[in-house]
Amino acid sequence: MNEFEWRRQMRDLRQPLTPRRDLWISIDAALDDAERTHEPVIQTASEHPSKHRQHWLLAAGLAASVLLIGSIGWRLLPASVTPRIANISKAPASWKPADPRLAGAAIELDAARMELQLAIQQAPHSPALQRLLNRTELQQAQLRQLANQAG
Amino acid sequence: MSPAPTGANDTDDVRAAAAGDRQAFQRLYRLHVGRVHGAVYRLAGYDHARAEDLTQDAFIRAWQKLPGFRHESAFGTWLYRLAVNVALMDIRARGADPVSMLDDEHLPDTGVTPFCAAERDELEHAISQLPPRARAVLVLHDIEGWLHEEIGNELGMAVGTSKAQLHRARGLLRKVLGEKS
Repeated sequence: MNEFEWRRQMRDLRQPLTPRRDLWISIDAALDDAERTHEPVIQTASEHPSKHRQHWLLAAGLAASVLLIGSIGWRLLPASVTPRIANISKAPASWKPADPRLAGAAIELDAARMELQLAIQQAPHSPALQRLLNRTELQQAQLRQLANQAG
Repeated sequence: MSPAPTGANDTDDVRAAAAGDRQAFQRLYRLHVGRVHGAVYRLAGYDHARAEDLTQDAFIRAWQKLPGFRHESAFGTWLYRLAVNVALMDIRARGADPVSMLDDEHLPDTGVTPFCAAERDELEHAISQLPPRARAVLVLHDIEGWLHEEIGNELGMAVGTSKAQLHRARGLLRKVLGEKS
């Protein structure tokens, strides 16, 4: 076989091909998402999609645990303490109460805050993550108040 | 290098899509997806799932870049080029090293004509076995009809390297096909 025949054989491979599934549905959805969030939608195929999913699942799981712990803490809190807590905007970076009943919650909240800060580093413009972080910090402050009240 | 024209006048849809008309963009997708996907599928080593992901990426990028499209070439050519670039970026992102992945000892001597006849399916299967960047050079040159200068620019290599890669890829192909010629 000479080069001419080879080239003809190879050029025969140059055929259009319809994808096995209709890609428009996914493309349309991706463009919708981009318009809603005003964030880039490109995710190269070399990136593993499940990695992103894992991050969001982790963040969602942490958020759920933060809410649960927060609601428990809120119920334990005396009513008179509540107005003072509302004025506290920031909790210290790491803090462990002496009361063992509260220590576990403090560790969980601290871990949640750190995870959320990491998530915010990856998605700095996410208002949802920022809200979760604010809420977590507020819950840390509430826990601190509760520990102080307990003595 | 550029693909054969589709024969369709898509100028109005291109302008409408560039202005944000999603339905016009869908019509462009329907018109061009076959040609784009075909090229991406070959560059992706005949891997359907990967090719579909890359084709999808290519159309999303096209939508984002459309407002900057200057109509200096046909839309189909611009889109095709963009899609090829997406596929090549994927090859680069995977860290494909053409030299280390080729086994020189099993290549034919330079004096041997590295051409061989094969059935279409056999040929496609053999191409899919090539190392990614060697495959990219072979697909772009022998199937898509690109020049070595264009391949060199796109893959960031010298023209001579592109030619050497093509010779290596053909040699490997011949080996995979069992030197049937």
